Amino acid sequence: MFLIRVFLVSLFAYLFFGFLCIPFTTQGISMEPTYPDGGVNFCWRLRYLFSEPKRHDVVTVRFAGSRVMLLKRVVAREGEQVEFRAGRLYVNGKEIEEPYVRFPCNWSLPTRGVEKDCVYVVGDNRSMPIEGHHFGQTSKSRIIGAPLW
Amino acid sequence: MKIKYLLVGVVMVIIGIVLAATVFPSEEKRVKKRFYLLSEWVSKSPEESALIMLQKMKDIGTLFLEPCELRSPNEFLSGSYTRQEISAYAGTARSHFSQLNLKLYDLHVDFPEKEVAKVNLTARLIGRSKTGERVDEIRELDCLLKKMDRKWFFSQIEVIEVLKK
Repeated sequence: MFLIRVFLVSLFAYLFFGFLCIPFTTQGISMEPTYPDGGVNFCWRLRYLFSEPKRHDVVTVRFAGSRVMLLKRVVAREGEQVEFRAGRLYVNGKEIEEPYVRFPCNWSLPTRGVEKDCVYVVGDNRSMPIEGHHFGQTSKSRIIGAPLW
Repeated sequence: MKIKYLLVGVVMVIIGIVLAATVFPSEEKRVKKRFYLLSEWVSKSPEESALIMLQKMKDIGTLFLEPCELRSPNEFLSGSYTRQEISAYAGTARSHFSQLNLKLYDLHVDFPEKEVAKVNLTARLIGRSKTGERVDEIRELDCLLKKMDRKWFFSQIEVIEVLKK
């Protein structure tokens, strides 16, 4: 009986932490100060099961699988026009308040449209040169969840 | 007594399966082995001697078919390369780093045709340049490998653009 319990608990833990609530550590500074380098979190896979990512949501973007993911913030949705002027974010020509951006930024990026079934994601830490930050448009199918906190 | 024989039989069958899988690896394992070799030869420790560096440079080239096509969102990197060019570029790139580690994740192997393997994976290159700068680059890759003389060779590598600025 004890062995059966151990087996069932192990199976549940494997399925839950392997597929539904995947533990991860943040590596890198692109989401600082919201998510500091080395922090521990969980990717909740069911976050967008019945809804779509909204502006300001923090999402996890997959590569080939879920072993390595990017943690980014959605700043624009499909059909919208994104632009950076003197470090400020503009969507459809309107300036967007971003309280989570704490470090000074001087980015400039010409206007570009977000394609169908895509979102535009950027990190919170924009203190580095624009060339050194990994951001941009990605397919919604690559968004596999959101951090638990 | 019967149970004893049964147990011995089961253990022997398990050993046989493990041995067969080791001695005759599946095609998928053979394909993955080429990636692990690439990872091993690209990686560099701070103590690496010049002799090992030269050997690894030469070895890297042997993994590729001639020519091998590289497709990248960076236009200047795209093109067809010979084995010698690949070895030379790998050597030049490695020489800028004191330490390099190529890690491969989530390898998905498909066989769309006979003797052709398509592999989708995540590659992460972590290292430190000779000037002390930390490097951490992650890319999703689509690779095409072809089998020749019972060995798999990289014939095409495409860098997938996950985020498009």
